[in-house]
Amino acid sequence: MFFRKYFDKRDGAIRGYDMHSPKSRVLSIIIMLLCIVMVVTALFPVVWVFLASFKDIKDFTRNVTIVPQHFDLEGVKKTWGQLKFSKFYLNSMMLVAGSVVCAVIFNGLLAYGLAVLKPKGYKVIQALVMWSLLIPSTASIVALFRNINMLGFSKSFLPLWLSYGANAFWVILFKEFFEDIPRELVESARLDGCGTLQVFQKMILPLSKPIIMVVAIFAVTAAWSDFLLPYLVLNGSGKETVMVKLFSFKDTPTNAVSMLRAVMFSIIPPTILFILFQKQITDGAAAGAVKG
Amino acid sequence: MKKKTKFKRRDLISWLVMLPSLILFTFYIWEPLLENVRLSLYSTIRYQTVNFVGLANYARVLKVPDFKAAFVNTFSYTFWSLVIGFFIPIIMAVLISETVHMKSFFRVGVYFPNIVPGLATIWIWNYFFTPGPTGVLNILLGKIGIEPFVWLNNTKWTIPLIVVTMTWKAAGSTALIYMASISGISADLYEAATIDGASIWQRIRHITLPSINGLARTLLIMQVISVFQILYEPMVLKNGGPNNASISLMMLVYRFAFRDSDFAGAAALSVMICIILIILSGVYMKVAKKKEEY
Repeated sequence: MFFRKYFDKRDGAIRGYDMHSPKSRVLSIIIMLLCIVMVVTALFPVVWVFLASFKDIKDFTRNVTIVPQHFDLEGVKKTWGQLKFSKFYLNSMMLVAGSVVCAVIFNGLLAYGLAVLKPKGYKVIQALVMWSLLIPSTASIVALFRNINMLGFSKSFLPLWLSYGANAFWVILFKEFFEDIPRELVESARLDGCGTLQVFQKMILPLSKPIIMVVAIFAVTAAWSDFLLPYLVLNGSGKETVMVKLFSFKDTPTNAVSMLRAVMFSIIPPTILFILFQKQITDGAAAGAVKG
Repeated sequence: MKKKTKFKRRDLISWLVMLPSLILFTFYIWEPLLENVRLSLYSTIRYQTVNFVGLANYARVLKVPDFKAAFVNTFSYTFWSLVIGFFIPIIMAVLISETVHMKSFFRVGVYFPNIVPGLATIWIWNYFFTPGPTGVLNILLGKIGIEPFVWLNNTKWTIPLIVVTMTWKAAGSTALIYMASISGISADLYEAATIDGASIWQRIRHITLPSINGLARTLLIMQVISVFQILYEPMVLKNGGPNNASISLMMLVYRFAFRDSDFAGAAALSVMICIILIILSGVYMKVAKKKEEY
């Protein structure tokens, strides 16, 4: 039974007919065991965080076990209150919401211009966007931070939201997708009297739900995890996000269990998102990168 | 004649559609890059530029006591990330491609660390690398009877271990890219090779690996560019220590700009990092091209 399934295998070096040899059978079992080891390595640290954050402080510092002796749910609730995590969650959600909207609209519109409209001179922009992929991103943060401050944009979500509207990788994801939409559809919509923006709204957007989903999910995880610019812009404004709070542990000593619980709180939302949309996320990650 | 004017109007509208996005790209990516170069040539007080000073900022940055350590370490990070981080995703991709049971679980499982926020990852590994008996890795080693290590506090191990944490996070997503490429290889190739008597290993060696060669080159250069700018991991884990063993060039940039408010110095160092990366990519592409010709 186990080896039967190999006859349906459509890719890779091991083929169904290899299963006639015992050596290949052993090899395929070894490969599977190695894959299990890989997945355990990938998942263990996060599983550990969830388990250990339910330990109480005594259990955490004295007992060298992985699984807690009893689950200290009260303690976790208390830490949530003490660290004022509701506030940080709310701020992070504000950041995420605006970022997703900006990511979809601005990158989508630019890609629409490059893939469908193609006005005179669009190639210059296309080259610039491609080059932006290679430009070291952190290297320009100094000048960017200075610009934001000189324009008086600091201590507000606005510069962070808008920063998600300029992502070369997402523009390319959108562009590849739009290029596969048949030209005839666009032309016929034009003949029906649709304007440039109407074509986008009535023709392109409804057809692009899958790619919008992918970019939106990427934007959610990116915005949730982002911390350098949010820290520089939001610190001390009362709008600190979850990541800014986590970053601040660097300078303020906190007891090990509270900190671990904070880490757990910060992992929960992306984990839920990942469980819900695992297929879109893994497919998007693979497809986009090959083309980009 | 009429047609031509209409065409032009359409162009104008198209540019207007792209304009908001272009403004954002200019503000967030293109302008800061040029602004950085300009800043590096001036003396600054806080955000204001004062005088044109030529290359004086560059000379000043080179003389900072921590510069040499940061410079050497940055190359050390890059070296270790190539040793550890480059091959692991390829191995993972080949192995997962050769399974049929639970394949999608493996794909999803190895990708999972990638959605864990970077900062959370760093803190998690901080618990794993805690020296003494309460560190998670020491607990695990204790179970098989091995004495506790000091992990990051051993200066010889600091950088390789930081690279391990980065690889843990990034390897799965890179592996997915390789897997997409591997699944595109034609089955005929493998079948033809089998008829010629090639073993499974020979098929992987002569068919699978050569066909991801081009992709691997692209990913290699992307990896070098990103690891060269390493900042958060050493900053949060050890603040560059112990004894400057993990300090990186980007950490110096951060200190110049956001600790000392010396934006000119920070800009000069960023420009230097960019130049090093451009040279590295250039040399690499030349070597890769030459190899292809033979």
